[in-house]
Amino acid sequence: MVYRKILKLLMTFFVIITLNFCLPRLMPGDPFYFLSSEQGEITISYSDEEIQRQRAYYGLDKPIMVQYGRYLKSMAKGDLGYSIYFNNDVWTIIKNRIPWSISLVFLSMIIGGFFGIILGCLSAWQRNGLLDKILYSTMVFVSEIPPFLIGILFLFYLAAHWGLFPLSGGMTPFADYASWTDRIFDIAYHGILPVITLGVVQMGDFFLISRSSMIAVMNKDYMTTARAKGIATCRILFRHALSNAALPIITRMFNGLGQAVGGTVLVENVFNYPGLGLLMRQAVLVRDYPLIQGIFLTITLFVLIMNFMADIVYKKFDPRIV
Amino acid sequence: MTKSHKSKLLILFMLAAIVLNITSCGSKPQQNTVAGSDEQKDFPLIIRLEGGDWGFPSPFAHYSRGPGMAKMRLIYDSLLEKGEKGLIPWLAKSWSISPDGREYTFVLNSQVKWHDGEILSAEDVKFSFEYFLKHPPVSNSLLIDGKPFIEKIDIIDENQVKITVSEPNSTILDRLGIVRIIPKHIWETIDDPKKVTDLDKLVGCGPYILTDYSQEQGAYRFQAFKDYWGPKPLVDIIEFVPVSDPVLAFEKGEIDLIKVPEDLMTRYLGNEEYKLLKSPAFWGYKLMFNMEKKPELADIAVRKAIAHAINVNELIEKVARGAAVPASPGYLPIDHIWHNPDVTKYEFDLEKAKALLNNRTLDLVLLIADDQKEARIAELLKINFAKVGINLKAQAVDMKTRDSMVKEQNYELALIGHGGWGQDADILRENYGVIVAKDSSPSSNVIPGYSNPKINELCIKQLTELDEESRKAMIMELQKIISDEIPLLPLYNTVEYAVFRPQKYDGWVHVFDHHEVTHNKLSYLER
Repeated sequence: MVYRKILKLLMTFFVIITLNFCLPRLMPGDPFYFLSSEQGEITISYSDEEIQRQRAYYGLDKPIMVQYGRYLKSMAKGDLGYSIYFNNDVWTIIKNRIPWSISLVFLSMIIGGFFGIILGCLSAWQRNGLLDKILYSTMVFVSEIPPFLIGILFLFYLAAHWGLFPLSGGMTPFADYASWTDRIFDIAYHGILPVITLGVVQMGDFFLISRSSMIAVMNKDYMTTARAKGIATCRILFRHALSNAALPIITRMFNGLGQAVGGTVLVENVFNYPGLGLLMRQAVLVRDYPLIQGIFLTITLFVLIMNFMADIVYKKFDPRIV
Repeated sequence: MTKSHKSKLLILFMLAAIVLNITSCGSKPQQNTVAGSDEQKDFPLIIRLEGGDWGFPSPFAHYSRGPGMAKMRLIYDSLLEKGEKGLIPWLAKSWSISPDGREYTFVLNSQVKWHDGEILSAEDVKFSFEYFLKHPPVSNSLLIDGKPFIEKIDIIDENQVKITVSEPNSTILDRLGIVRIIPKHIWETIDDPKKVTDLDKLVGCGPYILTDYSQEQGAYRFQAFKDYWGPKPLVDIIEFVPVSDPVLAFEKGEIDLIKVPEDLMTRYLGNEEYKLLKSPAFWGYKLMFNMEKKPELADIAVRKAIAHAINVNELIEKVARGAAVPASPGYLPIDHIWHNPDVTKYEFDLEKAKALLNNRTLDLVLLIADDQKEARIAELLKINFAKVGINLKAQAVDMKTRDSMVKEQNYELALIGHGGWGQDADILRENYGVIVAKDSSPSSNVIPGYSNPKINELCIKQLTELDEESRKAMIMELQKIISDEIPLLPLYNTVEYAVFRPQKYDGWVHVFDHHEVTHNKLSYLER
């Protein structure tokens, strides 16, 4: 049984890395052709001889099956290759960005999840009451606003107008920190607006999911029993009801974490935050095959790990799940 | 899972995230040292500019875009430099060319120091050229139509280098002059320079030393080199910092110069706190005709009808918001040092266009990038084209796909926007001279299905003409013929306005062939 699971996982992984290899190469365009440029930019173009030399340098002159074989061999050695455009080791580029993306998503999820779930529970408890109506319409509104718009509003008012937060970046450039606490403070200070932006959007999602899940649980007989026993409202809500309504919330949480790598691109764009989302966009725009492969692989692994963790947590919450 | 287990898991997660961030995000690049100097004190003038990652600024590792090249050039000097009016002496204080145009002798300034305190020698110059032939830099001027042209390099004495080239060529002085000189003692043992990313290998003889670089933050910090041989650096520290919105960052004083968007010009005009600097129009759009795929375009009357059916002023007003000038049908833009003002012009005249088409109707597909401006241009062209009997359909693809399709000649009409219109007039040959390989040059693609012996002949002649005045006359004539023929149609060239606070720094200058004030080192040096 265990062997079959492992075999299945390996097969999935193999299919994914093969797709990772094929997809970038199926895109029209070429990493070495530069005929046009963004307005105001000068680009450096190459002659055929130079392009051939560059292709040979990156091993792209070889037949596709040879390239695939080399790719598999490098993957087996843990080598993700060398970025064509960014001129650096793919893993180095990715590992320098992953912490920013993960921190951003993880912290925004804690904030959004915390407030979203509490408000969702309260809303379900007060179903059809004034509080529910206000919260519901507000949260539907909030969850439908694109994150970049919220980000721009924060940027204009909180950062530019009132000067409460930095305008951009993940940390103060060239800062010479006296201690680790200073560094943490600086990183946190720069992260507040992007985290809150994502957190607000996530809060809406968590609110809606926890509200509907709680409404379903609230109608169960055991809730009536709990109320009849005279248990405190707070305990009924957050201990009895929430633990039974938790599965959809957990699913949302792990789905969100799984999207950590690519799901933050718009917010990263607004705050010029150094995450992986923006990098992925750039890599696709310049057809940087090794980097696209590396980022796709990272995303895949992340999603697989999060799904795996979701399975474990599911079992803890609901022993009926095998 | 028990409550305590859950809390432990949560705490573990948070700790992991924080540790990851501290160890990885906060990793500071290695510091460079400044030979024999005490640069740590008293640097009054720090200029901050919009950052972004443009690669490690070595000649081999920066990204193939202007900002990457400009940063690299702050560190590395070349034999000649681009000045406000033309090439100026730099590491070479003088030069001479043999009458047959094959020998270039450069006399070097003496006592030029590398950033690590070593003295630059003629050996370094020879080494640089030879090393670049073996390991081409990102921006490689040592190839003409993809082929190397240097035959040999001789050291005449400790301050003189003679470079012999395979055949005379009017562009060679420019090509040799802009090659970066790199130190032999650093690079001679390096076989794969592309992979060098240590700051301590970034030793140049230019006015600035890179002290910090963060790829993921897109931040660079350059410090003036105390023992710089040349004009005194006026800016002590140049910092390129990440910026979310340039205008907000400028207004908050986080950066010192921006290119102001067309619609915000009035905010700064007439305000004494700010100064605006208009750039030369060296970035532009051109309309490519594929006469092989669409033989109707080989008819000069059709091309002229298209030219008359385009309302360039409307494009400038509605798409460029006024920040552009009509392009010259002879290609070299109005600000080019060899622009010919007397070329044939095509005013917007739908009646003339109809007459030229002589009741013919045409169906054309215009290839554009999925960009708002290009879509607007296509829409405006479509409206006027329809009035003269040309049904235009726009095909929008992403920029890289468009570039590939143009390269593979898989288009009927293509709209391309690019920079470099201020470069040496040889760009005419690269754009119109079918005798060269179709992939020979930046932003060029020889026009499929078009060949004109007169243009070809002049393209070749200007390339081998070493007398500047004679060559200039040829270029003028070439522009005239091109404007009569319009094998491709330049539409408009954009101008940009740099806005800055002159009280803080007022040294910004444009060099003769480039539109970006922050990309040339003269902007940071005493003049």
